[in-house]
Amino acid sequence: MCAWYGDCVESSHAIRRLFVGVVTPLTLRVGRQHEVTLEQISLDGASLDFTDVWDVAVNHRQLSLCPVAREKMARSRAWVLQAAAGEVIDENGDAMPVYGVNTGYGSLARVRIPKEQITQLSMNLIRSHAAGVGEVATEAVTRATMLLRANALAKGSSGCNIEIVTTLIAMLNAGVTPEIPLQGSVGSSGDLAPLSHLGLVVFDDGTPGDSGWASFNGTRLKGDVAMQKAGIPRIVPGPKDGLAMTNGAQLTTAITALTVVEGAALVLTAEIATALSVEALKGVSRAFHPAVHVLRPYPGAQQTASNLCALMVGSTLVDSIPEKVQDAYSLRCTPMVLGAVRDGLKFGASQVAVELNAATDNPLILMDEPGPNHAFSAGLFHGEAVGLAADHIKLVLSEAAALSERRLYRLTTGSLSALLPPLLVGVDQPGMGMMVPQTTAAALVSENRSLCWPSSADSIPTCEDQEDLVAMSTTAARRAAEVLKNSRQVIAIELMAAVTALRVRCDEGHTLGAGSAAAYALLSPLTDARTPSEVLSRIDAVIVSGALNKCVREAVPVLEVADV
Amino acid sequence: MSKSPIVLTGASLTIDALMRVAHGAPIALGEEARTEMQRSSQWLSEHGPASILAQKMGWLSGSEVGADDDALVVPFIQSHCAGVGKPLSDLVVRALIAARANVLATGLTGCRPAVADVLIRAVNENRTPVVPSQGSVGAAGSAALAHMVDGLFFDDCDVVLRGSEALALINGSTLATVLGAFAVHRSHRCLNMAIAATALTMEVVRADTAALSIQPMGARSDAAEAVAMALLDQLSGSTMVAQGRRPDPFSIRCAPAVIGTARSAVSAAEAVIRKDLNAANVNPLVRVDAQRVDEVGNFHGAEVAFVMDALKIALTTLASMSERRTFRLTYGQLSGLPSFLVRGTGLNSGLMIAQYTAASLVSECKVLSHPASVDAIPTVQHQEDHVSMAPIAARGALRILDALSEVLSIELICGAQGLDFRLEGTAVEDDGVVHTVAPLTAGKGTMVSYRFVRGVVARWVEDRALMPDLHAMAEAARVCGPSESPKNALPW
Repeated sequence: MCAWYGDCVESSHAIRRLFVGVVTPLTLRVGRQHEVTLEQISLDGASLDFTDVWDVAVNHRQLSLCPVAREKMARSRAWVLQAAAGEVIDENGDAMPVYGVNTGYGSLARVRIPKEQITQLSMNLIRSHAAGVGEVATEAVTRATMLLRANALAKGSSGCNIEIVTTLIAMLNAGVTPEIPLQGSVGSSGDLAPLSHLGLVVFDDGTPGDSGWASFNGTRLKGDVAMQKAGIPRIVPGPKDGLAMTNGAQLTTAITALTVVEGAALVLTAEIATALSVEALKGVSRAFHPAVHVLRPYPGAQQTASNLCALMVGSTLVDSIPEKVQDAYSLRCTPMVLGAVRDGLKFGASQVAVELNAATDNPLILMDEPGPNHAFSAGLFHGEAVGLAADHIKLVLSEAAALSERRLYRLTTGSLSALLPPLLVGVDQPGMGMMVPQTTAAALVSENRSLCWPSSADSIPTCEDQEDLVAMSTTAARRAAEVLKNSRQVIAIELMAAVTALRVRCDEGHTLGAGSAAAYALLSPLTDARTPSEVLSRIDAVIVSGALNKCVREAVPVLEVADV
Repeated sequence: MSKSPIVLTGASLTIDALMRVAHGAPIALGEEARTEMQRSSQWLSEHGPASILAQKMGWLSGSEVGADDDALVVPFIQSHCAGVGKPLSDLVVRALIAARANVLATGLTGCRPAVADVLIRAVNENRTPVVPSQGSVGAAGSAALAHMVDGLFFDDCDVVLRGSEALALINGSTLATVLGAFAVHRSHRCLNMAIAATALTMEVVRADTAALSIQPMGARSDAAEAVAMALLDQLSGSTMVAQGRRPDPFSIRCAPAVIGTARSAVSAAEAVIRKDLNAANVNPLVRVDAQRVDEVGNFHGAEVAFVMDALKIALTTLASMSERRTFRLTYGQLSGLPSFLVRGTGLNSGLMIAQYTAASLVSECKVLSHPASVDAIPTVQHQEDHVSMAPIAARGALRILDALSEVLSIELICGAQGLDFRLEGTAVEDDGVVHTVAPLTAGKGTMVSYRFVRGVVARWVEDRALMPDLHAMAEAARVCGPSESPKNALPW
């Protein structure tokens, strides 16, 4: 799976500009030892943004529960406790059935549960639903999942124990990270199995049972031991608490949100790679002229075109072949393709942005609606909205890489590269130059194509036909993260080849554009290694850390404007 | 080494033998192969092109390469080291080294025996270089093989590679073939699991065996017939199944047809992989008898790519059908047993979510079944303009196998849980009330499967975490190859 690691100041900036529209200076710590100077996030179920998610997931930003949210939660909780005690009466004078509070789950909603077994009902739900398989989620994904679950509950419409939220916050603040297996969720009723694995660590009804696993201070521990070491009491689950922990597609949303953040940063990196390649191939800049893109005014295309122009300002390479009137599509149509990638990501982000602050529980406890029945059984947990977005995100990220690979092919093909050395074999460096890295890129692009088959298009009925159309959103999100990683490697390969090509152009006495020059200066020293694999891992590191985007944006501040 | 080594002859390497090598069996170069390699390498050095590597590099780059072969070997190999992603497991790397050594043993590569000896020593001394799993298109110069050569020949190695040997070592799609060998090996295990799981489910849902006995007479497919016989064998002695009840749903009635077809797909893959393990998957081809060195296309992985893509579809179909049977097992109205196979439903959710997990995995398999071989992206300056993507197909098959064995494990767990009710005489009438009826007897074969499952996973009485059960079953099912202890051996 994709690893979200290290601090990523750059991505945080990018996403704040892209999706929030406000630029505020951030001082993020580099590694865990350094001071955190960000203020705490006050969870209120309504105002979480991508930056917050990234900061909590990756940079361990601290959290608290907003007092207003706490009050709202208390109100719905009081009603749930009444209903569980049989004090909410229906029109026949009987204790009102409330789904999951005093009934079984799923198709077992037909079964009534006596009040003395309500704690066991919640605990059984968590235990029997802990049915995940496969690799364990990364720390960042797990933290984002916990944050999103806490925020959904902080909306106050779940009627759950407030301590669930405060415990999740305490775990995030202290760095207790439960183990969540990534496979096995259909994303409808939410990510039931993944969230139940979280629940195993959080809940304890005093009976012996599996408490899951968690890491704390870098050690893998049994869930109960980890909580004890962190000094966080586990919670006896009350009515509805099991449902409240599990009903929502938070793993889907966590993975997709982090993919959006990294994907947004990667688009800028792809534009930087394009600029380097266009310069190396002595491309024609007219295709990027703003007057062109006003005529087909996709916002993404306009942004990309404007960025490309800014990156190449001052280049003596572009437009240096007078008889050349236009380039191949992989250069000329970059605004059309990468622009569509931008717009696609923005669509995906807009879906996820809603989900970041959504209630996803069932039933909802709506205290502002007239009683006596404040419980509304609905389907807000269904992952379709985010799953469709994730499927689209993987598609657009795959196209970004496909385009990049075609430019790479031109860079390495003698007859297409404006007289660059074939395969970019260096004069003083025998070997096959960039021949095999281009092959690697082709393999990655091809792999992406298989992975792009949409998960959302599939559904398999579950739970005795009660849950008869499921989202498969978790799989969509995981494939999106996988495609992101492959695409990032492809763009790293283009950067490596373009820098190698530009070394030839610089030797010919050419000057690079402002942005290209900054990227070249950062990347060029990284290319001196024994094997292409080693160079690629170095370049990948400066993409992931955000160092590449950052240094180019410092050289071309106008990119910031273009990026909004 | 106490065990006698597996002898590489270039003609006799089987998938089973390769799996034994992966799990630690030693290898040795056959004497005839050694003689043949000696003869061809000597002929090549005396009569072959002077600088075969320089010539090749010149063709690829489109310009003359000034240096001679000796100076080019290291940069040639290292510039091929462009793999990315997670490293392959040590098991796969051992098999990769051995399989490539077997290609050299064909005597058609012009490599000296000493080169094969370096590979063989690495396997026998369990030295496994880091080989990234991604970045290979399954044609010509392989990044994976280059990483292997880089890790074995340049530090502390007494063999200095010749240009022709550098080419011979890395020019081939052996990675895909080796991954394919693992996939075929694991597929056999899953086919047997699928038969065991199907039989168990048939007992629990009290299936009509008419479809099984008609199958041989219908003679639509030999493979289906073989599966039907295997199922009947499992069910022999059962009082749960009978002939002449109402027809079963397709996930049960048509299981022989589907499992049989999957078995055919595995056989087809096996034939290709078996052949490719002993083929001159290399370029150029050095033929002493014909006194020729020829540029050929033997490295192209299309054959492996096709059978791996077909295998993916077959395995996904097995998973998909198994999930439908699990759905029935957990569905009270369809199974005639308590919902989700647990008493006290409502308070207990039983095996409800096991079916979700299976559904999710099947859906994932569908995405991974998308064929890799339909794609091709031109590489190397229009020269390598159609590539096979075989390693991607084979890796996809292995990912599907991971999911498939989980899905089948889930069916086996649910099947054993259902069988417990049948064995003790619990049944649910249409009104949903649990009744006690006469206990029934299961077939001898199914009881073996049942006892195996119960040896790994306890009966579900009250809700508990399911993951440890799934993990234990999947581990038991994953145990494969010759290293498994009899204690863990599966009954099927």
